[in-house]
Amino acid sequence: MSYYDIDSILTDAQKLPCTFELEVPGLGILEGNPGDNIKAGTRIDLPLWLGEMLSIGARLGTSRLVTLDIPSALSERVMNALKADPRTVDLRALAPHFYSLSERVLELFEEEEMVDVLINTFKKRASEIADHAHNPKGALGDGVEFLRGLDETERQLFRVAHDSAKETRIWAGEAKKR
Amino acid sequence: MYGELGNKLVQHAKRTQSLAHLPPYQTELVRSVAREVRDLDRDVNHLLTPFSGSFDPSQQPAIACALLVDHLCMRRNKRCLLAYHRVRTEKLEELCWTGIDVLEQQAPPAAEDGTQPVASSQSGNHSSLSPEEEEYFRQYSDLLAAYKGQWTDVDLTGALEPPKDLFIDVRVLKDAGEIQTEYGVINLTKNSQLYVRQGDVERLIAQGFLERLS
Repeated sequence: MSYYDIDSILTDAQKLPCTFELEVPGLGILEGNPGDNIKAGTRIDLPLWLGEMLSIGARLGTSRLVTLDIPSALSERVMNALKADPRTVDLRALAPHFYSLSERVLELFEEEEMVDVLINTFKKRASEIADHAHNPKGALGDGVEFLRGLDETERQLFRVAHDSAKETRIWAGEAKKR
Repeated sequence: MYGELGNKLVQHAKRTQSLAHLPPYQTELVRSVAREVRDLDRDVNHLLTPFSGSFDPSQQPAIACALLVDHLCMRRNKRCLLAYHRVRTEKLEELCWTGIDVLEQQAPPAAEDGTQPVASSQSGNHSSLSPEEEEYFRQYSDLLAAYKGQWTDVDLTGALEPPKDLFIDVRVLKDAGEIQTEYGVINLTKNSQLYVRQGDVERLIAQGFLERLS
């Protein structure tokens, strides 16, 4: 997690549902009507970098500014789907940086069960990804649907697995270079 | 919504990472992000003027919240801007090490007339670098050359692959004049084909003057 890490910046840009606890003047721009005040109890999706810091203010003893909620990508419904079969869920559609998002969210919430579900999901999908990476079936083979639903972390995993398989073949002399 | 322009910039950077070349510099976007920061700063000053220096956050939580949001947005924009430029400078350094001369390849018109290249996608003829980046590239090249100069018998940026043949066929893509080799002078005129020693022309191939024929 470096300051300059592009992926971590993009993770921070993902939205989290927040509820404002007090009326703030001039913040209507967050809601899309600049110049207005934001009322107490307003629910809006704020990016992680904003929502996180606003909610941390609450822990420092001052009055709460914002309460956070679990994002829809990690809702009960999604968890149930992941429990049923991790391989059929399109993680990319839920959140492009699904795992890094859940990492950040779980820093803010106590959700023991969710941790287990996500770890299990990652393990199951990782073996599937490795299978696809080592036995390429082309752009029309089965599993295209699955590969399209990979989140950013999984894509990198796929790329690494795929490249290492190729490098090994080159090293063993089975394949030609380039 | 604040921070969205910065986000766009970071998405550009993300795309840049997976490209071989350097896409055009997003002058317009960078400028609007900087403008947004200035707006936010004005906002903060506007919020703070009535208190004339004696602002107590615990008494005015609402104002404090607005200030915090403004501050966070500015910080976020700064991070986006820095990350965007860092991705590009890293790319430039990489190009420098591989011996591709960005200024030579893309920017002759912009470098000559001295005007600022407008970084829009239509102006394909212009440099994809901002003037600052051009300057950075030039100075980094000088630095690298000075560093390499310490070891005259090792070419630090040379190819790591051992050559298969001592001599290779090359075609000249651009006029490069005469070059001096161990076996005498070669005259490189456009579209001619030569059979030369690989070591002599390696740099010229990397710079795009010659093309290797296999």
